[in-house]
Amino acid sequence: MDVAEIQGLTVRYGRFTALESFTAVVPGGCVGLLGPNGAGKSTFIRTLLGFVQPAAGRGTVLGHEVGRDDLAIRRAVGYMPEQDCHIPGLSAVQYVALAGELGGLSKAQAVRRAHEVLEYCGLGEARYRMVETYSTGMKQRIKLAQALVHGPRLLLLDEPTNGLDPIGREEMLQLVRSISHEKNVNVLVSSHLLPDIERTCDEAIVLFQGRLRAQGRIDDLKRVEGAPYEIELREASGAFVRCAAEEGLQVLGAEHAVYRLRGDGAPEDTVARAFRAARSAGVQVRRAVPAVRSLEDAFLEAISG
Amino acid sequence: MASPVADLSYRDVEAGGGPGSPGWLVLARMGWRSAFSKRAFWVLTVVGGWYYLILLAILYFIEQANLADETSRLASEFFGRIVWRDQFLHGFAFSHLVWLSIALLLGAGAIANDNRANALLVYLSKPCRKVDYLFGKWLGVFVPLCVAMGLPMLVFFAYCVLNFRERGFFDDDPLLLGRVLVLVPMAAAFHTSIVIGISSLFNQGRLAGAAYAGLYFISGFFSQLMLIIFLRATATPLEQMGSGQAQTFFYLSVDGLLTGLAKVLLATDGTPPFGIPARTPQIAAPDPWMALGGVVLVAAVAVFVAWRRIRAVEVVK
Repeated sequence: MDVAEIQGLTVRYGRFTALESFTAVVPGGCVGLLGPNGAGKSTFIRTLLGFVQPAAGRGTVLGHEVGRDDLAIRRAVGYMPEQDCHIPGLSAVQYVALAGELGGLSKAQAVRRAHEVLEYCGLGEARYRMVETYSTGMKQRIKLAQALVHGPRLLLLDEPTNGLDPIGREEMLQLVRSISHEKNVNVLVSSHLLPDIERTCDEAIVLFQGRLRAQGRIDDLKRVEGAPYEIELREASGAFVRCAAEEGLQVLGAEHAVYRLRGDGAPEDTVARAFRAARSAGVQVRRAVPAVRSLEDAFLEAISG
Repeated sequence: MASPVADLSYRDVEAGGGPGSPGWLVLARMGWRSAFSKRAFWVLTVVGGWYYLILLAILYFIEQANLADETSRLASEFFGRIVWRDQFLHGFAFSHLVWLSIALLLGAGAIANDNRANALLVYLSKPCRKVDYLFGKWLGVFVPLCVAMGLPMLVFFAYCVLNFRERGFFDDDPLLLGRVLVLVPMAAAFHTSIVIGISSLFNQGRLAGAAYAGLYFISGFFSQLMLIIFLRATATPLEQMGSGQAQTFFYLSVDGLLTGLAKVLLATDGTPPFGIPARTPQIAAPDPWMALGGVVLVAAVAVFVAWRRIRAVEVVK
């Protein structure tokens, strides 16, 4: 089920256009919102929450109209802001319980959920400490906890690994993955860090200069056009290259003993021809896999238009 | 990472806000909890009743003296001078600084600290509207301030009801309790609105507090200064400063407005405190519409400022 549908969304800050005719369908599951700084990712999330009024366009989040059913959206959505934010003068459990009450839970249920969620987010030991005394990593976790406490159907995470050290980042990514893949909460992760998106998300939406540049499953985005294969030999062989050409395969690139080959037929036909070329050249094939590019390459291609 | 006790299997979002409280009440409760758990609040509340405490001591000793010598005219003379409702005016007006201190203690950081900690992003990302937030914060200051202002008055009222009915406590003004019960929330609402409005303009509670304290003292200073200049310029004798145009200047400040409001609501110009004759004349009560209008206007402007300032994210146009 799609969690959000956006049509022609335009958001302007004075003369600056942060989002322009942005149209996208955000599917369920864990979706990454990718883009460099200033691409409009945070603006998009804020518009969904009703913080920013769009100049044009419309959209729905979980079936609720953006800009009209803002309260219903916020009731069904959890938001982890990019900035450091907390409610001053409260311990972690008070803070998260308050967030739960504001989210529509009764007081008793909110307190119970606060304990559970803090435990889940790895703050069980520190739940009675004042939030002001927390480290950056703990503050990131408590932002996640307050977003999660009222049991949202969609979590909006804005740069969840901001300011985290490698271990903290790893743990945060594990948490995000656990929430989306084990707890079945739909998650929209906004980040400019490609490895974070690659680690946690199944799909990605690429934003650049306020416009949609690409969208799809991450595996599809990484797939290279023409379905080439990577053939790894035991050792580099000029004879293999020659035989492959005789078989009608195009050698797109070679690195050490790995050759990227593309045929004009079906993918399985390309593999069969590569094996015939190897036999003709008398070389041993160690690996044959569909060629993929890195998400970074896919991203760069998407934003370069 | 996740503990085995972590259970996110149930959902309550479909039930909407059914079992929970509205956002404004959640925020107001937080304010009340915070206020009533502060020792300084209770200390200031007791200090705010200093006039009543002294008056009660005087009343007690006069009663004792009367019991010891029933022929003494001390009691009858004293009670002859006492205007009961004016004691509530003095009890209220002489503690303006205490009410200000409590307003600063509870309200200066109410929104300013949220601005500093980006807490509005948390509040307003929940099903909590701007009006819920503002009303909740306002109530969180208003109710404790009502308690602080009202408690000494009501204790004094109860004491007088029990002890001085035969001394004309009820005959003086049968509507006194009603007047007090209107004065307290109006004065508390005035303080609350201003302090909340100022708090919304700052990112630090201390700065907001300093700004309100500054407004309070500077407006008081200038109103007195204008009064003196007016009296000099018009060669008005000091005995006549309590009426006419001169009195208007007296009420052109935060505490002046509150004193004017108290005089209007208690329907009195005031008599000397503790029943002691005073040398300076009492300032007559202001025009009711001017006093009420001034209080409502200032409070409304302050709330409007807060309303304009409250937003989840800063949008640069």
